[in-house]
Parts: sequence; C-alpha cells; structure tokens
Amino acid sequence: MLSGGAILTPDETQLHAWMLGAQAGDPVATRRLLDGLAPRLRAFFRNKGARPDDAEDLVQETLIAIYTKRAMFDPDQKLLAWTYAIARYRMIDRWRRTGRRGFDLPIEDFEHALSAEETEAGDPSRDIARLLGDLPPKQRTSIELVKLKELSIAEASTQTGWSASDIKISIHRGLKTLMRLVGTSATGDIS
Amino acid sequence: MKTEDLIEALARTPETATPDRLYRRLALALIIGLVLGLVLARIFMGFRPDIGVAAPMVAMKAGFSALIATFAGGLALRLAKPIGGASGTVRRLATPLGLVILSAIAIGLLTLIATEPGHRFAAFTGGGFPWCIILIPFCGLPTALLLVWAMREAAPTRLALAGAAIGALSGGVGAMVYAMFCSVDSVAFVTIWYVVGIGLAAAIGAMVGARLLRW
Repeated sequence: MLSGGAILTPDETQLHAWMLGAQAGDPVATRRLLDGLAPRLRAFFRNKGARPDDAEDLVQETLIAIYTKRAMFDPDQKLLAWTYAIARYRMIDRWRRTGRRGFDLPIEDFEHALSAEETEAGDPSRDIARLLGDLPPKQRTSIELVKLKELSIAEASTQTGWSASDIKISIHRGLKTLMRLVGTSATGDIS
Repeated sequence: MKTEDLIEALARTPETATPDRLYRRLALALIIGLVLGLVLARIFMGFRPDIGVAAPMVAMKAGFSALIATFAGGLALRLAKPIGGASGTVRRLATPLGLVILSAIAIGLLTLIATEPGHRFAAFTGGGFPWCIILIPFCGLPTALLLVWAMREAAPTRLALAGAAIGALSGGVGAMVYAMFCSVDSVAFVTIWYVVGIGLAAAIGAMVGARLLRW
C-alpha cells in the first residue's frame, strides 16, 4: 500500500476527524478515512469467517456504503461503532441475497461470467469499465467523466449539457448501483 | 477492481454530505401523509357529524395520538442511521415510547375500574368491535409508504426495528386522522384500542421492514 496511513494505523479520534472532513467534501480526508478503515474492515470480515476474496468484496461494498451514506454519521457517534454497524449490515444483507454458498466460489469465475469478452486480468481500469457497463448510460457517463477522467462537476456539466446537480445525483445513484454489483459479482447473480 | 483504486475513485469528487435531504424527506412524508390520510378518511369514512361540538374530544384524541407519533418518530429518526454496539442502545432508545404506552394503558384501565360495573363493557369496546384497530393502520398507510420513500436516503442497519418504528409513527399519524371519524370518546377505549391499532401498524412495519428498507 502506498498511502501513508497504512503503516501507522490511525486511531478512532483521527478517523473521526477525517470523517468530518469527508462530510465537508475534503477529498484528502475522505481518502485517508477510507484508507484507514479498509484494513480494519478486512480484519473484521476475516474474523467473521469470510474467505479472503469474499472479504475483499465485502470491504469494497462497505467502503462504498460508508462513502455514499457518510451524511448518516452523526458527529456525536463513535466512528468505529458506526462503521462496524454498516459492515455487519452489509454482511447480513449479502447472506440474505446469496446464501452462504457464495462464500465457496472464487470471484474470477464470475468476473468471466459477467464480461462477454476476455480482458487482461489485473488492469483495474478495465475492471471498473466492466462494472460500469452495467449502469444506465447517464450514471455511467457521469462516473466516467468525474471519477475516472477527473473532470470537475462543472466541466462534466458543460461537456454533457446536464446540470451540475443532475450529474451529482447520477454519480450518487451510480455508486449505489455499483455497490450492489460489487456485492453480487461473487455469485454472478444480478437482480 | 482493486480496493485502493476504489478508494481513489470514491475520494476523487469533493462533495459535501449532510443529512438535510433525509430530514426534508421525512418532514414531507409526514405532512403529505397526514393530508392524504385526512382526504382518504373524508372520502371513504366521512368525519363524525358532530365534529364541531366534539372538537375538544377530537383534539384530545388527536393529541394523544400525536404524542405517541412524536416518540415513535424520535425512535425512527435514530434507527434511520447505523446503530453500533450492544442491543442496550436500542432498549434505551425505545424506553420513552414504552413508558408513554404503558402509562396510557394504565390510565385506561384505571378509568375502567372507576366506571360503574354495568357500563364497563360498553366503555371498553365502544359498543361493538373496535374497528379502529384496523382503520388506524389504514389511515396511516399513505404516511407509511411515504416514510419508506424517505428512508431510502437513510442507512438503517436494524431493518425490522426501523420498520417497527416507522410503522408506529405511521400508526400515530393514522390515529390522528382516525380521531376525526371516531365517535367513541371513552378514555378507556381510546387509550387501549388506539394503542393496539398503532401497535398493529408497528407489527406490520416490523414484518415488511426487512424487505422494504434494504439498501
């Protein structure tokens, strides 16, 4: 891991401060928060008996949930309790969706099942592109422009002719759908 | 997708996040739900004919319902956000609502005891089957559906409990609406059967919550 927070695990106070930053729209704080939470979530899901691949899926689902639902963090709350509540919920939701059988299957099989054509393994932008392919066009374009091509909301707005709030909502919705797709990719069950 | 790439993608757009949208939706759901409930009740059941004269009693009944709705609303608001830690948290949150309900039932029973034995049964049942236990959830249905919509903004992690809380809140609003129609003014009737009606709405909410509130 290249990000600085990986060696010294940030404590709750630090994470809490970054969460407030993330709520205020600070990209650096958001990144540090998610970087700091990822290893804890990984440990949490492994402790609960998830296989490594599956644990990673759950980590990603939970990170997306933490990001999209960060407004639902009350500054009076304890950040880690809040985080683990979401993690536990995502795990239960996954069991409900897939049954525990999903825990036996290697994720690669389903990534193949999801994409019609072979793509070079390990190229993250291709992986993202594949998942994005399942989104409605407007959400896909918004996420591509802003999250992948790093345009600002305003730039994306002029390029597409959609209003800024339109783009923000599309990104928000797209991320939610993406969260579901990451969750279901382990079983290939897209509902 | 690698987790580091996901984090990078998520953190890329600076955007503020406040719970305002959830609060706005909840307020809208309650207002529109109440109005819709009143309109539906007016069309399908009609208000009580003596609503002008009986206004103080109607206000008492609606106020009692509003009190329960307020406590249930506080609970729903808390359950809309992730709850960590032991189940003690939930118990502590539900205590005020439980106390209000218990004292209402206690008051109902006390008035029943104070009633002459010959009139007790009529005061208890309102002279027939207490239809309000069915009609209260019905009057709260518009509110319940709108609250489910509002909760899409939220992140409940205890779905059955959140469902029960918004069920009780909708039941409370439904009981406010129902008070315009209900012509039984006996204290024992109102405290006991209104609470049962709201409780039924909460039970339905708990049952469908896990299905409707998933995110």
